[in-house]
Amino acid sequence: MSRYAVNSLLYRLKKDRVFRTRFNVDPEGALAGLDLTDAERAAFLARDMQRINALGGYLHLVMSVPGMAAHVTHPEPE
Amino acid sequence: MGKIVFAAAMSHVLDPDYYQAACGLSGRRKVEACMAEIGKLGDTLLAHRPDALIVVADDHLNAFSFNAVPAICVRIGRDVNRMIQDEAEAFDKVLDGMPERYALHEELANRILEDGLGAGFDLALSWEAPIDHAFLSPVMTMHGARPVTPLVPIWINCFVAPQPTPARCFAFGQHLARVVARSPWNVGIIATGGLSHFPELLLPRVGESDVVFDQKLLRWLTEGEHEPLRSLTPGELDKAGEHEFLNWMALIGAVTPARADVRYFGELGRINLAAVEWRVG
Repeated sequence: MSRYAVNSLLYRLKKDRVFRTRFNVDPEGALAGLDLTDAERAAFLARDMQRINALGGYLHLVMSVPGMAAHVTHPEPE
Repeated sequence: MGKIVFAAAMSHVLDPDYYQAACGLSGRRKVEACMAEIGKLGDTLLAHRPDALIVVADDHLNAFSFNAVPAICVRIGRDVNRMIQDEAEAFDKVLDGMPERYALHEELANRILEDGLGAGFDLALSWEAPIDHAFLSPVMTMHGARPVTPLVPIWINCFVAPQPTPARCFAFGQHLARVVARSPWNVGIIATGGLSHFPELLLPRVGESDVVFDQKLLRWLTEGEHEPLRSLTPGELDKAGEHEFLNWMALIGAVTPARADVRYFGELGRINLAAVEWRVG
Protein backbone atom coordinates (compact mmCIF):
# COMPACT_ATOMS: atom_id res chain seq x y z
CA MET A 1 0.00 0.00 0.00
CA SER A 2 2.80 2.41 -0.77
CA ARG A 3 1.58 3.52 -4.17
CA TYR A 4 1.21 6.97 -2.68
CA ALA A 5 4.81 6.88 -1.49
CA VAL A 6 6.05 5.87 -4.95
CA ASN A 7 4.17 8.64 -6.69
CA SER A 8 4.86 11.36 -4.16
CA LEU A 9 8.55 10.50 -4.50
CA LEU A 10 8.35 10.67 -8.28
CA TYR A 11 6.55 13.98 -8.01
CA ARG A 12 9.19 15.36 -5.67
CA LEU A 13 11.97 14.20 -7.98
CA LYS A 14 10.28 16.03 -10.83
CA LYS A 15 9.38 19.25 -9.08
CA ASP A 16 12.05 19.75 -6.41
CA ARG A 17 15.39 20.47 -8.01
CA VAL A 18 17.26 20.44 -4.68
CA PHE A 19 15.87 17.03 -3.76
CA ARG A 20 16.59 15.73 -7.25
CA THR A 21 20.20 16.84 -6.97
CA ARG A 22 20.48 15.21 -3.55
CA PHE A 23 19.07 11.98 -4.96
CA ASN A 24 21.58 12.06 -7.80
CA VAL A 25 24.50 12.56 -5.40
CA ASP A 26 23.38 10.35 -2.50
CA PRO A 27 20.41 8.18 -3.50
CA GLU A 28 20.45 6.00 -0.38
CA GLY A 29 20.49 9.05 1.84
CA ALA A 30 17.72 10.76 -0.11
CA LEU A 31 15.47 7.71 0.24
CA ALA A 32 16.26 7.10 3.92
CA GLY A 33 13.16 7.22 6.07
CA LEU A 34 10.71 7.07 3.18
CA ASP A 35 7.86 4.58 3.42
CA LEU A 36 8.96 2.34 0.54
CA THR A 37 8.99 -1.42 0.21
CA ASP A 38 12.30 -3.12 -0.47
CA ALA A 39 11.27 -3.62 -4.11
CA GLU A 40 10.34 0.04 -4.51
CA ARG A 41 13.53 1.23 -2.91
CA ALA A 42 15.59 -1.07 -5.14
CA ALA A 43 13.80 0.20 -8.25
CA PHE A 44 14.55 3.81 -7.39
CA LEU A 45 18.17 3.07 -6.57
CA ALA A 46 18.47 1.31 -9.94
CA ARG A 47 16.67 4.26 -11.59
CA ASP A 48 14.55 1.60 -13.27
CA MET A 49 11.51 3.54 -14.50
CA GLN A 50 9.94 0.47 -16.08
CA ARG A 51 9.99 -1.28 -12.72
CA ILE A 52 8.76 1.84 -10.93
CA ASN A 53 5.85 2.02 -13.38
CA ALA A 54 5.09 -1.65 -12.78
CA LEU A 55 5.07 -0.95 -9.02
CA GLY A 56 2.41 1.75 -9.44
CA GLY A 57 4.33 4.83 -10.53
CA TYR A 58 2.20 6.88 -12.88
CA LEU A 59 3.27 6.78 -16.49
CA HIS A 60 3.40 10.53 -17.06
CA LEU A 61 5.80 10.91 -14.14
CA VAL A 62 8.12 8.09 -15.15
CA MET A 63 8.26 9.67 -18.60
CA SER A 64 9.07 13.19 -17.41
CA VAL A 65 11.32 13.26 -14.32
CA PRO A 66 14.35 15.26 -15.49
CA GLY A 67 17.41 13.10 -15.86
CA MET A 68 15.56 9.86 -15.11
CA ALA A 69 12.71 9.90 -17.61
CA ALA A 70 12.04 6.78 -19.64
CA HIS A 71 12.28 7.69 -23.31
CA VAL A 72 10.48 5.17 -25.47
CA THR A 73 10.96 5.55 -29.19
CA HIS A 74 9.41 3.58 -32.02
CA PRO A 75 10.13 5.05 -35.43
CA GLU A 76 7.26 4.73 -37.88
CA PRO A 77 7.77 3.78 -41.53
CA GLU A 78 8.03 6.78 -43.83
CA MET B 1 -28.79 35.04 -24.05
CA GLY B 2 -25.40 33.42 -24.31
CA LYS B 3 -24.39 30.84 -26.84
CA ILE B 4 -21.73 28.25 -27.50
CA VAL B 5 -20.41 29.60 -30.79
CA PHE B 6 -17.60 27.12 -31.35
CA ALA B 7 -16.74 23.62 -30.17
CA ALA B 8 -13.79 21.43 -31.02
CA ALA B 9 -11.60 18.72 -29.56
CA MET B 10 -8.03 17.91 -30.40
CA SER B 11 -4.86 16.13 -29.38
CA HIS B 12 -2.72 18.19 -27.05
CA VAL B 13 0.93 17.30 -27.40
CA LEU B 14 1.56 19.56 -30.37
CA ASP B 15 5.33 19.48 -30.67
CA PRO B 16 6.96 18.35 -33.94
CA ASP B 17 10.33 17.86 -32.22
CA TYR B 18 8.78 15.53 -29.66
CA TYR B 19 7.13 13.39 -32.31
CA GLN B 20 10.23 13.32 -34.49
CA ALA B 21 12.27 12.09 -31.52
CA ALA B 22 9.65 9.48 -30.62
CA CYS B 23 8.40 8.36 -34.02
CA GLY B 24 10.74 9.71 -36.70
CA LEU B 25 9.88 11.98 -39.61
CA SER B 26 6.47 10.39 -40.04
CA GLY B 27 5.60 11.56 -36.54
CA ARG B 28 6.77 15.09 -37.28
CA ARG B 29 4.76 15.28 -40.49
CA LYS B 30 1.57 13.99 -38.93
CA VAL B 31 1.67 16.34 -35.97
CA GLU B 32 2.43 19.25 -38.27
CA ALA B 33 -0.60 18.32 -40.38
CA CYS B 34 -2.75 18.06 -37.25
CA MET B 35 -1.46 21.42 -36.00
CA ALA B 36 -2.32 23.04 -39.32
CA GLU B 37 -5.93 21.92 -38.93
CA ILE B 38 -6.00 23.09 -35.30
CA GLY B 39 -4.70 26.46 -36.49
CA LYS B 40 -7.65 26.65 -38.89
CA LEU B 41 -9.97 25.82 -36.00
CA GLY B 42 -8.43 28.79 -34.21
CA ASP B 43 -9.33 31.00 -37.16
CA THR B 44 -12.92 29.78 -36.93
CA LEU B 45 -13.03 30.36 -33.18
CA LEU B 46 -11.70 33.90 -33.43
CA ALA B 47 -14.04 34.78 -36.31
CA HIS B 48 -16.86 34.39 -33.77
CA ARG B 49 -15.19 37.01 -31.52
CA PRO B 50 -15.75 34.88 -28.41
CA ASP B 51 -15.93 36.44 -24.96
CA ALA B 52 -14.44 33.34 -23.35
CA LEU B 53 -12.92 29.97 -24.19
CA ILE B 54 -13.69 27.03 -21.91
CA VAL B 55 -10.84 24.52 -22.03
CA VAL B 56 -11.60 21.06 -20.65
CA ALA B 57 -8.38 19.15 -20.15
CA ASP B 58 -6.50 17.00 -17.67
CA ASP B 59 -3.64 17.30 -15.24
CA HIS B 60 -0.58 15.18 -16.02
CA LEU B 61 0.20 14.85 -12.31
CA ASN B 62 1.65 18.32 -12.27
CA ALA B 63 -0.87 20.63 -10.64
CA PHE B 64 -2.61 18.41 -8.09
CA SER B 65 -0.14 15.69 -7.26
CA PHE B 66 -0.58 14.39 -4.61
CA ASN B 67 -2.12 16.59 -1.98
CA ALA B 68 -5.51 16.16 -3.63
CA VAL B 69 -6.81 14.92 -6.96
CA PRO B 70 -10.14 16.56 -7.81
CA ALA B 71 -12.55 14.70 -10.07
CA ILE B 72 -13.55 17.97 -11.75
CA CYS B 73 -11.96 21.30 -10.89
CA VAL B 74 -12.75 24.83 -12.10
CA ARG B 75 -9.91 27.35 -12.19
CA ILE B 76 -11.13 30.66 -10.83
CA GLY B 77 -9.41 33.98 -10.36
CA ARG B 78 -8.28 36.69 -12.74
CA ASP B 79 -5.34 34.96 -14.40
CA VAL B 80 -3.48 31.69 -14.55
CA ASN B 81 0.19 30.86 -14.91
CA ARG B 82 1.59 28.18 -17.11
CA MET B 83 3.49 25.36 -15.46
CA ILE B 84 7.19 26.05 -15.07
CA GLN B 85 9.24 22.86 -15.24
CA ASP B 86 12.98 23.16 -14.81
CA GLU B 87 15.03 20.83 -17.03
CA ALA B 88 11.81 19.89 -18.82
CA GLU B 89 11.76 16.60 -20.69
CA ALA B 90 9.43 15.00 -23.22
CA PHE B 91 5.92 16.50 -23.38
CA ASP B 92 6.77 19.18 -20.80
CA LYS B 93 9.22 20.87 -23.16
CA VAL B 94 6.50 22.25 -25.42
CA LEU B 95 5.69 24.82 -22.71
CA ASP B 96 9.14 26.40 -22.85
CA GLY B 97 8.93 29.81 -24.48
CA MET B 98 5.18 30.25 -24.09
CA PRO B 99 3.91 33.31 -22.19
CA GLU B 100 3.82 32.75 -18.45
CA ARG B 101 0.43 34.33 -17.63
CA TYR B 102 -3.04 34.20 -19.24
CA ALA B 103 -6.23 36.10 -18.48
CA LEU B 104 -9.24 34.19 -17.20
CA HIS B 105 -12.93 34.91 -17.73
CA GLU B 106 -13.53 35.23 -14.04
CA GLU B 107 -17.29 35.71 -14.07
CA LEU B 108 -18.04 32.75 -16.31
CA ALA B 109 -15.79 30.52 -14.21
CA ASN B 110 -17.54 31.66 -11.04
CA ARG B 111 -20.96 30.95 -12.54
CA ILE B 112 -19.90 27.46 -13.65
CA LEU B 113 -18.64 26.78 -10.15
CA GLU B 114 -21.43 28.33 -8.10
CA ASP B 115 -24.30 27.14 -10.27
CA GLY B 116 -22.63 23.73 -10.47
CA LEU B 117 -22.63 23.33 -6.70
CA GLY B 118 -26.25 24.41 -6.68
CA ALA B 119 -27.09 21.83 -9.34
CA GLY B 120 -25.47 18.94 -7.49
CA PHE B 121 -22.00 18.89 -9.05
CA ASP B 122 -19.51 18.78 -6.19
CA LEU B 123 -16.86 20.69 -8.09
CA ALA B 124 -13.43 21.52 -6.77
CA LEU B 125 -12.02 24.98 -7.24
CA SER B 126 -8.52 26.33 -7.48
CA TRP B 127 -7.05 29.83 -7.41
CA GLU B 128 -3.48 28.68 -7.90
CA ALA B 129 -3.17 25.57 -10.05
CA PRO B 130 -0.99 26.20 -13.12
CA ILE B 131 -1.91 24.84 -16.53
CA ASP B 132 0.30 22.50 -18.52
CA HIS B 133 0.52 21.44 -22.15
CA ALA B 134 -2.96 19.92 -22.07
CA PHE B 135 -4.34 23.46 -22.02
CA LEU B 136 -1.69 25.62 -23.58
CA SER B 137 -0.49 23.57 -26.50
CA PRO B 138 -3.91 23.66 -28.23
CA VAL B 139 -4.68 27.21 -27.07
CA MET B 140 -1.43 28.59 -28.45
CA THR B 141 -1.68 26.57 -31.67
CA MET B 142 -5.15 28.02 -32.20
CA HIS B 143 -4.25 31.62 -31.36
CA GLY B 144 -0.73 31.86 -32.72
CA ALA B 145 0.47 35.45 -32.30
CA ARG B 146 -3.06 36.76 -31.74
CA PRO B 147 -4.32 37.78 -28.28
CA VAL B 148 -5.47 34.76 -26.29
CA THR B 149 -9.20 34.62 -25.56
CA PRO B 150 -9.96 34.83 -21.80
CA LEU B 151 -9.86 31.25 -20.60
CA VAL B 152 -11.92 29.10 -18.27
CA PRO B 153 -9.69 26.09 -17.52
CA ILE B 154 -11.47 23.01 -16.23
CA TRP B 155 -9.63 19.87 -15.18
CA ILE B 156 -11.07 16.41 -15.32
CA ASN B 157 -9.18 13.64 -13.55
CA CYS B 158 -8.39 11.33 -16.45
CA PHE B 159 -5.52 9.34 -14.97
CA VAL B 160 -5.75 8.73 -11.24
CA ALA B 161 -8.25 5.95 -10.54
CA PRO B 162 -11.04 6.17 -9.67
CA GLN B 163 -11.91 8.67 -12.38
CA PRO B 164 -15.35 10.20 -12.94
CA THR B 165 -17.50 8.21 -15.34
CA PRO B 166 -18.03 9.24 -18.95
CA ALA B 167 -21.72 9.70 -18.16
CA ARG B 168 -20.89 12.09 -15.33
CA CYS B 169 -18.56 14.10 -17.57
CA PHE B 170 -21.34 14.28 -20.17
CA ALA B 171 -23.78 15.54 -17.51
CA PHE B 172 -21.25 18.14 -16.42
CA GLY B 173 -21.01 19.30 -20.03
CA GLN B 174 -24.78 19.75 -20.08
CA HIS B 175 -24.35 21.95 -17.01
CA LEU B 176 -21.78 24.03 -18.90
CA ALA B 177 -24.27 24.54 -21.72
CA ARG B 178 -26.98 25.67 -19.29
CA VAL B 179 -24.64 28.18 -17.65
CA VAL B 180 -23.60 29.61 -21.01
CA ALA B 181 -27.24 29.82 -22.16
CA ARG B 182 -28.13 31.87 -19.06
CA SER B 183 -25.16 34.19 -19.58
CA PRO B 184 -24.74 37.18 -21.90
CA TRP B 185 -21.60 35.76 -23.55
CA ASN B 186 -20.54 34.08 -26.75
CA VAL B 187 -18.40 31.18 -25.64
CA GLY B 188 -16.05 28.76 -27.36
CA ILE B 189 -15.30 25.37 -25.83
CA ILE B 190 -12.51 22.94 -26.55
CA ALA B 191 -11.69 19.55 -25.06
CA THR B 192 -8.15 18.29 -25.40
CA GLY B 193 -6.21 15.04 -25.36
CA GLY B 194 -6.30 11.74 -27.14
CA LEU B 195 -7.07 9.97 -29.10
CA SER B 196 -5.88 6.46 -28.23
CA HIS B 197 -2.44 6.24 -26.59
CA PHE B 198 -0.68 4.78 -23.58
CA PRO B 199 -3.12 1.89 -22.93
CA GLU B 200 -3.36 0.94 -19.25
CA LEU B 201 -0.73 3.65 -18.58
CA LEU B 202 1.94 0.95 -18.76
CA LEU B 203 5.38 1.79 -20.08
CA PRO B 204 5.74 -1.46 -22.08
CA ARG B 205 2.58 -0.51 -23.97
CA VAL B 206 3.77 2.96 -24.98
CA GLY B 207 3.76 2.75 -28.76
CA GLU B 208 0.39 0.99 -28.98
CA SER B 209 -2.80 2.74 -30.03
CA ASP B 210 -6.28 1.36 -30.69
CA VAL B 211 -7.35 2.57 -34.12
CA VAL B 212 -10.52 0.47 -34.11
CA PHE B 213 -11.71 2.04 -30.87
CA ASP B 214 -10.93 5.51 -32.18
CA GLN B 215 -12.85 4.89 -35.37
CA LYS B 216 -15.84 3.71 -33.35
CA LEU B 217 -15.76 6.89 -31.28
CA LEU B 218 -15.41 9.12 -34.32
CA ARG B 219 -18.29 7.38 -36.07
CA TRP B 220 -20.55 8.02 -33.09
CA LEU B 221 -19.45 11.65 -33.01
CA THR B 222 -20.03 12.30 -36.69
CA GLU B 223 -23.42 10.57 -36.56
CA GLY B 224 -24.46 12.39 -33.37
CA GLU B 225 -24.91 9.05 -31.57
CA HIS B 226 -24.21 10.12 -28.01
CA GLU B 227 -26.04 7.44 -26.03
CA PRO B 228 -23.40 4.73 -26.60
CA LEU B 229 -20.73 7.15 -25.43
CA ARG B 230 -22.50 7.64 -22.11
CA SER B 231 -22.38 3.90 -21.51
CA LEU B 232 -18.60 3.71 -21.77
CA THR B 233 -16.74 2.87 -18.56
CA PRO B 234 -13.43 4.16 -17.22
CA GLY B 235 -12.16 0.58 -17.49
CA GLU B 236 -12.88 0.43 -21.22
CA LEU B 237 -11.19 3.77 -21.73
CA ASP B 238 -8.13 2.58 -19.76
CA LYS B 239 -7.71 -0.58 -21.83
CA ALA B 240 -8.01 1.33 -25.10
CA GLY B 241 -5.77 4.20 -24.07
CA GLU B 242 -8.69 6.61 -24.23
CA HIS B 243 -8.25 8.14 -20.78
CA GLU B 244 -8.47 11.70 -22.07
CA PHE B 245 -11.75 11.05 -23.85
CA LEU B 246 -13.34 12.03 -20.53
CA ASN B 247 -12.52 15.62 -21.48
CA TRP B 248 -14.25 15.10 -24.81
CA MET B 249 -17.30 13.70 -23.00
CA ALA B 250 -17.79 17.00 -21.19
CA LEU B 251 -17.69 18.87 -24.48
CA ILE B 252 -20.09 16.39 -26.08
CA GLY B 253 -22.53 16.95 -23.21
CA ALA B 254 -22.27 20.69 -23.78
CA VAL B 255 -23.15 20.48 -27.47
CA THR B 256 -25.37 17.41 -27.70
CA PRO B 257 -27.04 16.51 -30.06
CA ALA B 258 -24.72 18.33 -32.48
CA ARG B 259 -22.84 16.26 -35.01
CA ALA B 260 -19.10 16.51 -35.50
CA ASP B 261 -16.81 16.78 -38.50
CA VAL B 262 -13.39 15.17 -38.36
CA ARG B 263 -10.84 17.76 -39.47
CA TYR B 264 -7.84 15.48 -38.99
CA PHE B 265 -7.12 11.90 -37.99
CA GLY B 266 -3.63 10.49 -38.22
CA GLU B 267 -2.50 7.08 -37.03
CA LEU B 268 0.71 6.73 -35.09
CA GLY B 269 1.62 3.84 -32.86
CA ARG B 270 2.51 6.44 -30.25
CA ILE B 271 -0.87 8.16 -30.41
CA ASN B 272 -3.65 8.67 -32.88
CA LEU B 273 -3.74 12.40 -33.56
CA ALA B 274 -7.09 14.06 -34.07
CA ALA B 275 -8.87 17.37 -34.54
CA VAL B 276 -12.68 17.41 -34.53
CA GLU B 277 -15.19 20.27 -34.82
CA TRP B 278 -18.87 20.21 -33.89
CA ARG B 279 -21.64 21.89 -35.86
CA VAL B 280 -22.90 24.36 -33.30
CA GLY B 281 -23.57 27.32 -35.58
